[in-house]
Amino acid sequence: MKPTIAQHYPGDSVLHRLDPRAKIVAVTVLAVALFTRDSFIALAVYAVAAAVGLALSRVPLSWFWRSLKPVIWLVAIAFLAQVAFAPGPSFAHFGPFHLSWRGLELAAYLSLRLVVLVLTGSLLTLTTSPVALTDGLAWLARPLRRLRVPTEELALMVTIALRFIPTLLVELEAIMRAQRARGADFSHGGLLRRARALVPVLIPLFIVSFRRADELALAMEARCYVPGVRRTRLHPLRASWGDVLVLVLAVGAVLTASLV
Amino acid sequence: MSWAGRVVGRSDPQKLGAVEVAGPPRQPDGCLVEAEGLSFAYAEGDRRVVAAAGISLRLERASCTALLGPTGSGKSTLLFLLRGLLEPDSGAVRIDGLAPGDAAFTAAQRSVGVVFQQAERQLFAVSAREDVAFGPRQLGWGADAVSAAVTEALEVVGLPEDRFGDRHPYSLSGGEQRRLALAGVLAMRPRALLLDEPFVGLDPGARRDLAATVGRLRGGGRTILLATHDVDYAWALCDERIVLAEGRVMAAGPWSFDAEGVSVLTANRLRVPSLVELWQRLGRPAGEAPRTAAAAAEALL
Repeated sequence: MKPTIAQHYPGDSVLHRLDPRAKIVAVTVLAVALFTRDSFIALAVYAVAAAVGLALSRVPLSWFWRSLKPVIWLVAIAFLAQVAFAPGPSFAHFGPFHLSWRGLELAAYLSLRLVVLVLTGSLLTLTTSPVALTDGLAWLARPLRRLRVPTEELALMVTIALRFIPTLLVELEAIMRAQRARGADFSHGGLLRRARALVPVLIPLFIVSFRRADELALAMEARCYVPGVRRTRLHPLRASWGDVLVLVLAVGAVLTASLV
Repeated sequence: MSWAGRVVGRSDPQKLGAVEVAGPPRQPDGCLVEAEGLSFAYAEGDRRVVAAAGISLRLERASCTALLGPTGSGKSTLLFLLRGLLEPDSGAVRIDGLAPGDAAFTAAQRSVGVVFQQAERQLFAVSAREDVAFGPRQLGWGADAVSAAVTEALEVVGLPEDRFGDRHPYSLSGGEQRRLALAGVLAMRPRALLLDEPFVGLDPGARRDLAATVGRLRGGGRTILLATHDVDYAWALCDERIVLAEGRVMAAGPWSFDAEGVSVLTANRLRVPSLVELWQRLGRPAGEAPRTAAAAAEALL
């Protein structure tokens, strides 16, 4: 009954073993660069980069499809909007809409760019466990500590929150099932009625969550957790030449894209 | 142990049996819930975890059956399947002779009450009375019927309304909370009651009170299926037992403590009830073992 979060695909590929910091920086660089130059050739370079990443990650393509699915509507709408309202000489009319080659080109470009962006982003989330991701972000956010931002604590909070999402989902399922057995109905009636139907679920869920949080806080204290103290790590982040290589490749892709 | 499994308590069986959810007429044969070839697997990531592998069983009317099995043997899943909270991958459940697809099947399903593991977690209302009233109101009963059902259910579980009705559910003790959750199910006047590990996490006193409540309920003519791994309570309360392991029925029917009956328990991380073991060690027939310590004392002295 363990719901898995679709975002991470456990594996042992080259990409999985990379330092999360290198992956975060590389993906950020690529994602930003993707939007700085409007040309099909540049887009092709990034698409190739993403495709190489896909192949290296050894993550089944269905998983990438899963992360694409939620945005496919967005892509479709963007495509249609561009096709319908784009400038340029038109070759066909449908009521208020007119099709132009320029519009089709723009629509294809923008949609493909969105797809490449999502695929590049999924490369990071699919090959990096949430904990490693948080660790990497916490490290990258370290300069903020000078501004007294408690980055370590924030990272811990995020890690704990991520850790408990599946637990809460199991809890939620159990409570909903129990209330359904008592005649609760979550799928009929108007919005208001459905919202009201959730009260018997949300109250127990809150109470269970708070109880759990209390217990976790006590357990952490019992195991000598002190906020704000410098901690060592079981798996310290260690950059290797592979990580440097990824950064070089990412920057290389950006340079290639901006030169062609 | 002063609680006696067979005691018919204050609740009047006639009264409990008389008011029923509008449902199909009783079938001539004694079977209320019948499962045939139930299979079910949970999807866990890309894996499938089998929780029921072709389970067939019959629960006779007004019987009290223990569903025994170690943790992870599929007891909870089976209860969900019997109540229709999970759809079986294959096989079917018949309730009162009705099959899924029959017009009155949903009503028949509703006449099967389930008390979940750690049922106190489902409490949400501001008072014990309100929480117990939730189910009957969902069934669309009128105010008088709801209030009568609430009073009766609270009485049966030993939380009389005049003392407990206005209490906030979370101000009750753990054992009282669990009995309140049980009342929430009883108020819907189920004909069959499926109890999922009702004794887990309670202190001995609370267990004893709960066992007394279950004892009263079985006197009320309800069909009870008690899923537990506490063999002592199972022995005290139930006439028959079903042993479940890895989603399969290993044994079903009246208790048996011959070599096979004992090994089906011990091989599945269970054990022989203490009083039965005592009788065996005394060289007496295990089948005549008493259900309670009081009965044992009476037999021995």
